[in-house]
Amino acid sequence: MSKTTEVEKDKKRSIPASAPLMAFFVGLFIYFSVASEYFFDIENFRNIAVALAVTGIVCIPGTLLMIAGQVDLSVGSAAAVSGMIMANMVNKHSIAVGLVVALVFGLTLGIINGFLVTVVGVNSLITTLGGLATLYGIALLIGNGQTVMMRNFEWLGTSQPWGVPLPVLIFTVIAIMGAVSLRKSTYGRSLYAIGSNPNAARVVGIRSNRLLFITFVLSSVGAALAGAVLCSQLSAADPNAARGLELEVITAIVLGGASLAGGRGSMFGTILGLCTIGILNNGLILLDVPTFWQRVAQGLMLIIAVSFDSLRQKLNNQRS
Amino acid sequence: MNVDLAHLKDIRKSFNGVEVLHGVDLTLAPGEVLALLGENGAGKSTLVKILAGDIPPTSGSITIADTELARLDVYQARQLGVRMIFQELNDAPTLSVAENIFLGQWPGSKGFVAWGDMREKAREILKRLEVDIDVDAQAGSLRVGERQILEIARALTQNAKILVLDEPTAALSNAEVERLFIVMDQLKKEGVGMIYITHRLDEVSRVADRVQVLRDGNSVLTVDAKGAQREVLVTAMLGHEALKNARPAPVSTSGTGLEIKNFRSGDDFNDVSMTINAGEVVCLFGKIGSGSSEVLESIYGLRPVTGGSVHIFGKEFKPKSPQESSSSGIGYLPADRQRLGSFASRSVAENLAVASWKAMSRLGFVDAGNEVKAFSRWSDALKISARRGPTQEIATLSGGNQQKVLLGRWFEAKVQVLLLVEPTRGVDVGARRDIYDIIRRQAKESGMAVLVATSDYEEVVLLADRALVMSRGKIVSEFTGNSVDANSLISAAS
Repeated sequence: MSKTTEVEKDKKRSIPASAPLMAFFVGLFIYFSVASEYFFDIENFRNIAVALAVTGIVCIPGTLLMIAGQVDLSVGSAAAVSGMIMANMVNKHSIAVGLVVALVFGLTLGIINGFLVTVVGVNSLITTLGGLATLYGIALLIGNGQTVMMRNFEWLGTSQPWGVPLPVLIFTVIAIMGAVSLRKSTYGRSLYAIGSNPNAARVVGIRSNRLLFITFVLSSVGAALAGAVLCSQLSAADPNAARGLELEVITAIVLGGASLAGGRGSMFGTILGLCTIGILNNGLILLDVPTFWQRVAQGLMLIIAVSFDSLRQKLNNQRS
Repeated sequence: MNVDLAHLKDIRKSFNGVEVLHGVDLTLAPGEVLALLGENGAGKSTLVKILAGDIPPTSGSITIADTELARLDVYQARQLGVRMIFQELNDAPTLSVAENIFLGQWPGSKGFVAWGDMREKAREILKRLEVDIDVDAQAGSLRVGERQILEIARALTQNAKILVLDEPTAALSNAEVERLFIVMDQLKKEGVGMIYITHRLDEVSRVADRVQVLRDGNSVLTVDAKGAQREVLVTAMLGHEALKNARPAPVSTSGTGLEIKNFRSGDDFNDVSMTINAGEVVCLFGKIGSGSSEVLESIYGLRPVTGGSVHIFGKEFKPKSPQESSSSGIGYLPADRQRLGSFASRSVAENLAVASWKAMSRLGFVDAGNEVKAFSRWSDALKISARRGPTQEIATLSGGNQQKVLLGRWFEAKVQVLLLVEPTRGVDVGARRDIYDIIRRQAKESGMAVLVATSDYEEVVLLADRALVMSRGKIVSEFTGNSVDANSLISAAS
């Protein structure tokens, strides 16, 4: 008996990893509610959610990758290419063809990324950085550098079944699937193990390469889907629309407590990180802060978040 | 006496009031190789560190090249030509051989390296050592033994007169050892004096002129290397307390658990055959580099197999990959726990359950309750003390407790064959006894065959039903039950 109570006491005493972010989020929320009369409003929250959904769809597989110790920088450019494909296909053929081709593109890109990282053995940061540049160029090539307007494809980005914007619904479903498989499935647990110690994962018999491969595919498919949603929202495909998406994704994930070194992180943390970025961007707009400052704030947040990550690792190393 | 290169007299050394060297003498003549023997903690390292100026003696005198020195620091020792070569390499693997030989002291002027000059000099010195190494090759692409020779070459360019080699052959293959000895013969001709620290008795007569044995901080024996009897040296190293296995030989069990025949892997080991019964614990004893841990790696699929066969409970098994092995009922505990064993940032429960997730899951989803149950089942049986329960991060546990979790991992997975490499390395003495008891008990209860690779003879005595001794890639002898004792093990392995 005494043993279990001791365990429970210790559980209570340990602070969850997301506590500092939670406090920051709540503080920011209260500040904007007081500072701007437009902030605390259901319509505004809907706007925030819609603005976040595209990033969020990419963040879920991104978190899986980061926990396994990998990173995918090609998501922003992949979303741009996917949008360009969508626009051209919708204009020339049909929406269905557009969606199929965009998702096949995502699948192919994921297979290429997965192949380069797990079979060829290139570092994922470099592989996907190359992908970022290449795909951005392809997006420009497809539209000749121009924005491509499109017709009759608004439902994916703007319809509201049961009063909930469809992109938010899609994000929610993906997030729940991601969270459950991360926590409960052998796949998710194995990702933690791979990120925590790739060598030990191999020795203990985890099929690391296969699982990483799958996760890279998920990431690229997520990016392709996000690109489709984004161009539907805009009724146009802009090769620059998703620029910097990868930065926002990584900021949200790292802010949410995932370690760049792998082995740590949670879906809840990522979503909280995402919401923090969302209300920060929204609040700054409502307070009439010039939009350039949003970029500055986001960059600073990423730096602060990774600094926290490093400090936490140092602290942990000292303790053990 | 005044021809001696170095003369240490009545050296005493205390750390925090505890004396670890009790008045040791050592002399070294030009062109002489002195083998320094002793168990771990006998004081060999302390003694040579004093000679290298690394640590000052508490009392005693040091004479190098006819000058008695009251104080000796590292710079002075280097000035006088004392150089140490360690087992671990101190080189820059991405630089070329020539650059490594002159590391930090590249010939040239005004901040520019004279490449042609440097390569020429490097070639000269390698020729002097009678080795054939390309001076433009990247150091990292060479074999370990060759890189060690580079370090010796570097010492020579810095005018070494006294060379201390601290277990240089521990990580080398037979061919590389012989090559090192040829280099040492060459140095002898040039009048360099060498102190050679080793655990391998067979090397002594090959390379040394004299042998000095240290035990518990005393010099207990100094003899001519040529006539030195192996048994005499072993007894001098161990003192008289030789450990004996107190257990009776096990009753022969019914089935054969693990059988390997004519097993081989490249140069690492060859023609290894053994049979382990169900429930039996067999230790494969050998020094580092003898091939013992390599045999286990090959069975588990971590190292290519170039010949032979493996049978597990009568069924043929072809080692391919760790994945294949673990799903075929084989467990493997690596020697390097941090690098290959534990998931530092994950909980003890997860670390314990990781090899059993498939069995614990339904449709790909793990029941976390089963994980906790598994942990509480084994934490009692293995006496794991995780104060904060199943969710505590494994990295916050002591080495002994971590090792128990990793053992529990394979017990939970119900493996038929368990391969353990150095199972108690870095584990405190108390936990060590627990671990031996657990392994023996679990083997008997579950009927699994346990094969342990170890370089610790005490471990063999306390753990093994049967011991096989490996040396230079071959099984050289076998001891059963009461005949497992430290003296015979060490002398067979050397």
